[in-house]
Amino acid sequence: MNTLFEAHDLQKVYASRIALNLPFFRMERGEVVALTGYNGCGKSTLLRLLAFLEKPSSGSLRYFGDISDPRREITLLLQSPYLVKESVFRNVTLGLRLRGRRDGLARAYADAMQAVGFTQPDILAARRRDALSGGECQRVALAARLALKPAVLLLDEPTSNVDAASAHAIVTAVRRSLSAGTSVVCATHDRVLLDALNAREVNLAGDLHALS
Amino acid sequence: MIENICGPEYCLRPADFTPPAVNGIEMGYFSDGFHKAINLLLHMDDATFSAITATLVSTSCALGVAMALGLPLGFLLGYTNFPGKKLIRLVSDTLLAFPTVLIGLIVYALITYRGPLGQWGLLFTLPGMVIGQTILALPIIISWTAQAVESLDIRCRQTLLTLGAHPSQLALLTLLEVRYEIGMVCVTAFGRVVTEVGVAMMLGGNIRYATRTMTTAISLETSKGEFAQGIALGLVLLFIAFAVNFLLAWLKHRGRT
Repeated sequence: MNTLFEAHDLQKVYASRIALNLPFFRMERGEVVALTGYNGCGKSTLLRLLAFLEKPSSGSLRYFGDISDPRREITLLLQSPYLVKESVFRNVTLGLRLRGRRDGLARAYADAMQAVGFTQPDILAARRRDALSGGECQRVALAARLALKPAVLLLDEPTSNVDAASAHAIVTAVRRSLSAGTSVVCATHDRVLLDALNAREVNLAGDLHALS
Repeated sequence: MIENICGPEYCLRPADFTPPAVNGIEMGYFSDGFHKAINLLLHMDDATFSAITATLVSTSCALGVAMALGLPLGFLLGYTNFPGKKLIRLVSDTLLAFPTVLIGLIVYALITYRGPLGQWGLLFTLPGMVIGQTILALPIIISWTAQAVESLDIRCRQTLLTLGAHPSQLALLTLLEVRYEIGMVCVTAFGRVVTEVGVAMMLGGNIRYATRTMTTAISLETSKGEFAQGIALGLVLLFIAFAVNFLLAWLKHRGRT
């Protein structure tokens, strides 16, 4: 079976406000899906549901990967990523260390950082988050996800807060990850990103609008 | 001699009262006290250093016990959700404003020779003071640790989960993320305990070379008109306050990054 996610009548309600209404959603393995729609139509909510960070208020969402622990296969890059109060090196290798990996961290760090466009990762290794620009933070956070070699990469407007050079580096990194077999779901307003990833577009605005 | 302007029949001031001179003599006791205070510190006066030692020992013990009990409780209170959590927070927050003399009174009633814990002979001893000071520090550590955990950016939890953290790893990493804030809580609690008078006076009894702390010694010496030791201990307290604030500022800076 190539289906990765399948959802029926998915709804998420926060304090009596409907944040997401999705009658049907299916995604195949290796596919790139772009979630579009106006602000507040539920793109980020759907990403959090797909990342198993939250449970739907109603409806069903099935993941056909490792269902015993999907969060070890799926990772989400937040729109404003959070870096822990540690060095860049420890941030990038955090996911690996959480999985118990102790060897080859330096190699994994260098590979992930180069994938997001840092040509000299060692210079940044000891820096902390306050010494990074917004674009650097975004790329470091993406590097932390790519280091995990995830089955599913969820991206919440990854290029909305960065300059053109950082956006280009992010697109290149995601495309490289795609070619390695990662499935990608990306919430975005960026038509350039959408075209660059050659993504199937799912517009969430219509479903929520129809309900309201 | 000054003429009594309110008349002899109404004024309490003696008719031959002479106020201090405007300059020179009335400031003499202060500068004299200051010089004596420096001498006491330089010559490591026994009574002065006994008060400093008693203060540091009782405060450190109280803080150690309060941290051992308060940090896990505060972390659980901030990290988990359970029925009655808001009520516990309310009680803990209310206890932040607990007057030190009231703590002294309650613990006194417990450890006095006629009290339920009287057989332990804790009244007017350092351990007795430590009990009171622990009760003073505990609400600060519980409430503010819970506050620090609750104030942590929601994205931290989401990030750790999406990087694959298990529940135990999530709790540990959350604790690590608020380590500087927790450090600030402990330093604040230390500052509160080291400067209090009520508990130390009521439970310690201000016994020289035993339970006399810096604050109770300052209070006593000032009431006797002996300013030198009071000033010497005041200088030490000021130094401690400066060190505490320096540490707080450093922790605050580290906490932001």
